[in-house]
Amino acid sequence: MADIKRQAVGESIGEGKTAAGAAQAGLAGADAEHAAWLAEMERASRAKQESFMNGISARLRHPRMTTNPQQPARGAPDFWRTFDWTPEERIERFEANWRSVGGHTARVRDLDEAGRFIAERAQELSARIIVRQDQDELAALGLETSVPEAEVSVWNSEADVSWKARAAEADIGVVLADQALAYTGTVVVRSAPGKGRSVSLLPTVLFILVPAERLGTRLGEALIPMDEGGREALPAGVHFITGPSRSSDIENDLTIGVHGPGVVYALIIG
Amino acid sequence: MKVSLFITCLGDAIYPRVGEAMVRVLSQYGVSLEFPRLQTCCGQPAFNSGYWQEARASAKTILDAFEDSDFVISPSGSCTGMIHHYPKLFESDPFQLARAERLRDKSYEFTQFLVNVLGVTDVGARFPHKVTYHPSCHGTRLLGVKHEPMTLMSNVRDLEFVPLPFAEDCCGFGGTFAVKMADISGAMVTEKVDHVKETEAEVLVGLDMACLMNIAGNLRYRGEQVRVMHLAEVLAEGAGLA
Amino acid sequence: MSANKGKSSVKERAELALNDEFLVKAVKFTTERLRNGKKNASAEHGNWDEWRERGRQIRLHTIAHLDYYLNLFVDNARANGVHVHFADKGEDAVAIAMEIAQRKAAKTVVKSKSMVSEELHLNHALEQIGVEAIETDLGEYIIQLAGEMPSHIVIPAIHKNRYQIADLLSEVAGERLEADTTVLAGFVRKKLREKFLEADIGMTGCNFAIAETGSMVLFENEGNARMVTTVPKTQITLMGMERIIPSFEDLEVMATLLPRSATGQKLTMYMSAITGPKRTADADGPEEMHIIIVDNGRSLQLGDPEFQELLNCIRCGACLNACPVYRHIGGHAYGSTYSGPIGAVLTPALNKNVAEWDDIANASSLCGACYEACPVKIPLHDMLIYLRRRKVETGNGKAVETAGMKGFAALTGSSAAMKAALAIGKIGQRLVVRGGEIRTKLGPLKGWNSYRVTPSLPRRSFRDRWEKLDREIDAKRPPMAPDMKRRMERIVQEREQGGGGHGGH
Repeated sequence: MADIKRQAVGESIGEGKTAAGAAQAGLAGADAEHAAWLAEMERASRAKQESFMNGISARLRHPRMTTNPQQPARGAPDFWRTFDWTPEERIERFEANWRSVGGHTARVRDLDEAGRFIAERAQELSARIIVRQDQDELAALGLETSVPEAEVSVWNSEADVSWKARAAEADIGVVLADQALAYTGTVVVRSAPGKGRSVSLLPTVLFILVPAERLGTRLGEALIPMDEGGREALPAGVHFITGPSRSSDIENDLTIGVHGPGVVYALIIG
Repeated sequence: MKVSLFITCLGDAIYPRVGEAMVRVLSQYGVSLEFPRLQTCCGQPAFNSGYWQEARASAKTILDAFEDSDFVISPSGSCTGMIHHYPKLFESDPFQLARAERLRDKSYEFTQFLVNVLGVTDVGARFPHKVTYHPSCHGTRLLGVKHEPMTLMSNVRDLEFVPLPFAEDCCGFGGTFAVKMADISGAMVTEKVDHVKETEAEVLVGLDMACLMNIAGNLRYRGEQVRVMHLAEVLAEGAGLA
Repeated sequence: MSANKGKSSVKERAELALNDEFLVKAVKFTTERLRNGKKNASAEHGNWDEWRERGRQIRLHTIAHLDYYLNLFVDNARANGVHVHFADKGEDAVAIAMEIAQRKAAKTVVKSKSMVSEELHLNHALEQIGVEAIETDLGEYIIQLAGEMPSHIVIPAIHKNRYQIADLLSEVAGERLEADTTVLAGFVRKKLREKFLEADIGMTGCNFAIAETGSMVLFENEGNARMVTTVPKTQITLMGMERIIPSFEDLEVMATLLPRSATGQKLTMYMSAITGPKRTADADGPEEMHIIIVDNGRSLQLGDPEFQELLNCIRCGACLNACPVYRHIGGHAYGSTYSGPIGAVLTPALNKNVAEWDDIANASSLCGACYEACPVKIPLHDMLIYLRRRKVETGNGKAVETAGMKGFAALTGSSAAMKAALAIGKIGQRLVVRGGEIRTKLGPLKGWNSYRVTPSLPRRSFRDRWEKLDREIDAKRPPMAPDMKRRMERIVQEREQGGGGHGGH
């Protein structure tokens, strides 16, 4: 049972074109050797797991715990769970928080206006390469026609493109927030085949579209559903973004844009 | 009702005037203090240095001295705090543990007793001086004595209170720490006195003579004339009891 | 590794640090900034003690059932496609990481900040097999170039000024870089961007691991941890075995406590929850992901009632910023990977060599600022005393001190002996008292009197004065007000009925 599961997992982690294809054709020498080594490591690790956990139980002086111990306190204090702002308050607080850490915000009526806003900034910045996630809402921005000077790439829309490199050379990345939270001024983006983690990370300037109806108050509003959806529903990366990349490592002097985007716009729609 | 005075080593040997002030202030409210002569040191120097066997010897003397008391009042948050460690010190000795818990529950730092037990917030004192206050670590953090001294000082007539910058920072005393790590301790007390000087206060007030001895020592070393007083002294002097 | 490393005792290292004016100023400035940030952020958020208590409860529970939660995490991480490994000792973890690097024929490893990796001295090991390991957190990159250890958990290069940093980076650049933060950071961005794109392996630590989903969570501000977990084809995560929390619901509490306690931020710029390697159709993220779970002395704390809470630590650094000793001597004086109050306790605890490290435990005035600052309420000030006690109990006390403490016990065990000693002191001090003060720097008063004067003993002690005072006061004492009397009686009564204490910790 465990082996079957592992095989399935092993397939899903390889690159689509190599793992599945190569498995049928019989793995090429190096790959096969590596897979065998991973399998060997796995066997050793599973054996070790038992002694490791038993060692912990012995230290804790109780028999090995195999059933879920009841948590006396789980998550935030009760008073916090009912804390909520009105939709208008959420927008105000979100904007204030986002700006306080050096981010930019704007409110736009709809995707058309958002598209125009981005196009204007792209022209100001003389952007040459724009990368956006592969989502209908972002297609509706019409950047392909409104910024003719720039090459607009749609994440993972064609094979044989080095997408990470494309995002790294991009001047502008455009993403759509899956959720946003006002209390901390945070945007949540989840990875998917059409939604690269690199798009919100590698470009110099980042535009995040935040539909007003996706704006909640507390962090828990994004975290608790991650438990509820369960492990299998989680994408590889869920990123909580709270402003531009920053560091104070040199003499406490705040620097913006150390590794990630230094200019970050949150466009609230609606 | 037996109310006992736990004078502490420093209070006994070096600063008898503090105990005296405390006795005079409490006496105003009809509190008749008794002084068990059996008492010595709370054992903190040994306890903090890891010499618990030796600390137990001191602690037992204190347990004996205050066996019959209903309230034990001390001019030091640190020494009262040490009594709060007694149950840990005797955790494997059920007999002494029970006594230790009893003593802990009836021990009070001076302002705790005055404000929280007697309910006194204004002793009717007048003290026309510029005053700053150093909250000692053990009193504030271990015993939670925070509002009591502030309340008492705010009700002293003509007392001009100047907050001490970084007040909650340790003065660097730390018992044997001041001797073992003399240079670090010296840097800490120097910084504390820099902050005291910034306030331009005439009087530095505190609740623990160990810390005050440390700060006063550095003030004098640097030729500063700031007066250093226990709050009990301010109250007694201000109320014309000294 | 640092300039301080050669010195044997914390006292000597502290002396060096105290004489380094820039260091003292830089450390004070930084810790003050972070400390105030934390104070403001926790006050603004409100109900801070309730959040702390919640954090403590979650950590206590998880550690008390670590066999269950860690096992659950491992099973879920495996189901996510992660290769999980276990390392009893630091060397084991290093060996596993090196084997992966060799199997992958890696030339370059990019790393995001990980205290565990510092603890294992992993970079050094990788270099020996010809793998270039590059720290990518700006501060870590700087101290790596300088060949030093981090001097602060959160701000590793706290002790370096921008001129020193400009010198280090100019050497890498092959040209003179201006000592300007923007220029320097800009250079590092460009330089490391190349490294991220060419690296074979990304290596990270782990702030929290979610047992119920097998996810790992990283907090950071720069984006380098995201780079490391997004760009290279292989990811290795080093994780202390105690980093577990049960659920994302619990992460809300940690995410509330950690950034506020560390830097005063509401949340770090990035918080990433990574659940397994990239999915088949994803175009970024690692193809192969390893998590190495490290014990390296942590399990020694399990089942030890005095030290188990050490495992609750979430590595925020708040205790360093609050500590007056740390603020004066900086991190390197502690002589180990972990500095400040947490380091003073954690280092001997992880190494189980109480005797050798006791002098670090002595570098504390026991003021309790660390406990007050700790977001999960670890009683570090108590633990420091327990460490000192263990040293004494194992017969490793210093002979002079042991003799002194025996004398102390003899004196304080009897009021008569103490009185006699006082009398001798009063006679003895006549030799050194001038104007009511003692200023000599000879003998036992040397250290104390280098910074202070000592008060002389008054002619009559309190116990000598008591009888007279008592008589005088007795004569004019008014009767007690009835309400006061009632209150006192009620307190005694409640106490007898098991009401217990009246506050205090």
